[in-house]
Amino acid sequence: MRIAVCAPQVPFVRGGAEIVSERLVDELRRRDHEVELVTLPFKWYPGERVLSQAFLWRLLDLEEADGAPIDLVIATKFPSYVVRHPNKIVWLLHQFRQAYELDRTELGQFDESPEGRALRRAVHRLDKVSLGEARKLFATSGNVADRLERSTGLEAEVLPHPPQELPYRCEEYGDFILSVGRIDRAKRVELLIDALGADTSLRCVVAGEGPDRGRLEGLARERGLDGRATFAGRVSKQELADLYARCLAVYYAPVDEDFGMVPYEAFLSEKPVVTTTDAGGPLEVVGDRETGLVCEPTPAAVARACAWLRDHPDETREWGLAGQRAAERLTWDAAIGRLLS
Amino acid sequence: MRVAYYSPLPPERSGIADYSALLLPALAERIDVDVVRRRSRRRRRRADVSLYHVGNDPEAHGWIVEALRRRPGVVVLHDFVLHHLVAGMTLGRADGGGYLDAMQREAGPVGRMLAHGVIDGVVPPLWEDRAADYPLAGEALASATGLIVHSGYVERLVRESGYVGPVWRIPHPAWTPPPDIDPVELPEGRTVIGCYGHLNPAKRVPQLLEAFALLRRRMPETLLLLVGSLSPGMELDPVYHRLGLRAGEDVIGLDYVDEARLWSYLSACEICVNLRYPTMGETSGIVVRALSLGRPLVVSDVGWFAELPDEAVVKVPVGEEEVRGVADALELLVREPELRTRLGDAARAVAQGEHALGRVAEAYVAALEEAAGGNAVRNAFLHEIALAAHETGLAADGHALSDVAARVREVGPGR
Repeated sequence: MRIAVCAPQVPFVRGGAEIVSERLVDELRRRDHEVELVTLPFKWYPGERVLSQAFLWRLLDLEEADGAPIDLVIATKFPSYVVRHPNKIVWLLHQFRQAYELDRTELGQFDESPEGRALRRAVHRLDKVSLGEARKLFATSGNVADRLERSTGLEAEVLPHPPQELPYRCEEYGDFILSVGRIDRAKRVELLIDALGADTSLRCVVAGEGPDRGRLEGLARERGLDGRATFAGRVSKQELADLYARCLAVYYAPVDEDFGMVPYEAFLSEKPVVTTTDAGGPLEVVGDRETGLVCEPTPAAVARACAWLRDHPDETREWGLAGQRAAERLTWDAAIGRLLS
Repeated sequence: MRVAYYSPLPPERSGIADYSALLLPALAERIDVDVVRRRSRRRRRRADVSLYHVGNDPEAHGWIVEALRRRPGVVVLHDFVLHHLVAGMTLGRADGGGYLDAMQREAGPVGRMLAHGVIDGVVPPLWEDRAADYPLAGEALASATGLIVHSGYVERLVRESGYVGPVWRIPHPAWTPPPDIDPVELPEGRTVIGCYGHLNPAKRVPQLLEAFALLRRRMPETLLLLVGSLSPGMELDPVYHRLGLRAGEDVIGLDYVDEARLWSYLSACEICVNLRYPTMGETSGIVVRALSLGRPLVVSDVGWFAELPDEAVVKVPVGEEEVRGVADALELLVREPELRTRLGDAARAVAQGEHALGRVAEAYVAALEEAAGGNAVRNAFLHEIALAAHETGLAADGHALSDVAARVREVGPGR
């Protein structure tokens, strides 16, 4: 089958969504499909730019390429699913969250002017039309599916995506908590930094890049963490696997996250995950006292959870292994089987 | 966002006044609502958008249409057929010319001639039995920057009439039944069938009475309750006499009752009937209350009523078989308590689902936000596309641009 996987790109920014799209392409190719990743840059500000940039996807003609038909389009996240195709499937990683649950929060985008409010509604309408015309809708987590149902009335099957390929292993339960992911406010790495401020015996490594890094490094200095927080920046796959292999546990507590691959990556490295009660998607994966700890989103609670894991190595190992068993059930064979069914 | 809100309100006796009394508090929790009162001279705060509730009653809605003329805004079209309203606002104010113009706008020279006939008394008033042929909604639609309607039926009618502005279909909100409904005294051992609301010819009361007379021959323990004021000129006693029904025994008729008593009488029935023909495109607050209470309903298969879910109501077509159809539906429901329970449960679920007050209020806010800022968003969006087309030299009448226009129609902002 000739398949176009559609995903937007924010130039110079790379995160979980990009990894998923590329991996999907690879996995489809492994199964003898002819697959191409189709991408367009996306800039969502200022003002109406969110609509006009999204609209670019609508102008694409993906019904055929070089005279041969494209049999299937698999769109991933906003706005790639605006694309038009008679056989469009959407594997929804997320909608434009600023128009939904992040509206009227510090992470929101639309102001209170009539134009700002109407622009947000225009995004809703665009979603309703472009997602509504898909032949089949999958959502990467129950959280994403619930949001979709609440905001558009559309129902999606939950289909989590498997984590990226890394040389996963467990070498030790070391002396640091690992945070992985893009460093922006929504990922809430600040909470971990503050937790280290609350418990001077904890250490952490923050792997990833992002616009909030400078501020967080300043915050670590302010909190007097004295080298207990290490900002590793963007790391290679090998380095990331090493960090997973050596850490004590993984911290992952974004605000109402869609899904997040990090917990599964932690599990494949036999490490438990510390998350918070308001983290959204990760709560579908991390079972409290089963595969990690779920605590209140406060520095003291996060610090207590991390220290508890350090002080209880048997449970830490046991929960990490339980997570590994869960993660190993998430395979590309199963995911692609459902996508193409 | 601030909304100027025009509507009849209690103590006016109108379904739309009740509707607004229900909706307003939920709306005010979400946006800044400035309720405009009739004849109010208070200086108004600047509103981002005005919202006008328009129905067919000239007394309740004449002043609202006048305000709409002065400042176009979003119209909640409670009835599509506004002939009575327009006649009241023209002929009722000795403005024959206004009526002639309205009829001409609706139906051209033939309409004008008919209007002349009405004014001269040689043609019976059109609003009495031909209103649906001449709905006269044109003026309200012309001033509406957007429309809120309650049914696909009315949405179709406004589109067929040529309206091209945005239309939002928002269900009628449902009341939460009062927690302490006083019981009413009715004869014991009877299966009570209730019909509620202002009783006018469109409510098909004679047909209902005929159907009930048929039913009583088979099931004499049934009792019909008619609760609501009787339309002027409607006489039921001759119908009772003709059908052999005893007023006060077989049929209990009551005049208008207040809201608390209405809930009591609605609760007292086992089956609620709400027939309608012709329909002006209206909804029924009584039907929505009955859904909230989980009462099984028999309705006419027309307009908004036809769009109610099949699992929650029994629909009877209007026509030659109407009377028999109503009698059969009632008999089925009387005989099968389990069916009544099933329909009632489904009715309650419908009321708590798509008609839920919070959900309806959210839909209003979405519509009003689109109405207030939608044009600016659309213009800015189109400007950006037009600029790109201009800069790249796309011909205004070329295929490339028409393709872009087609895609804009599919997913672009505004409709």
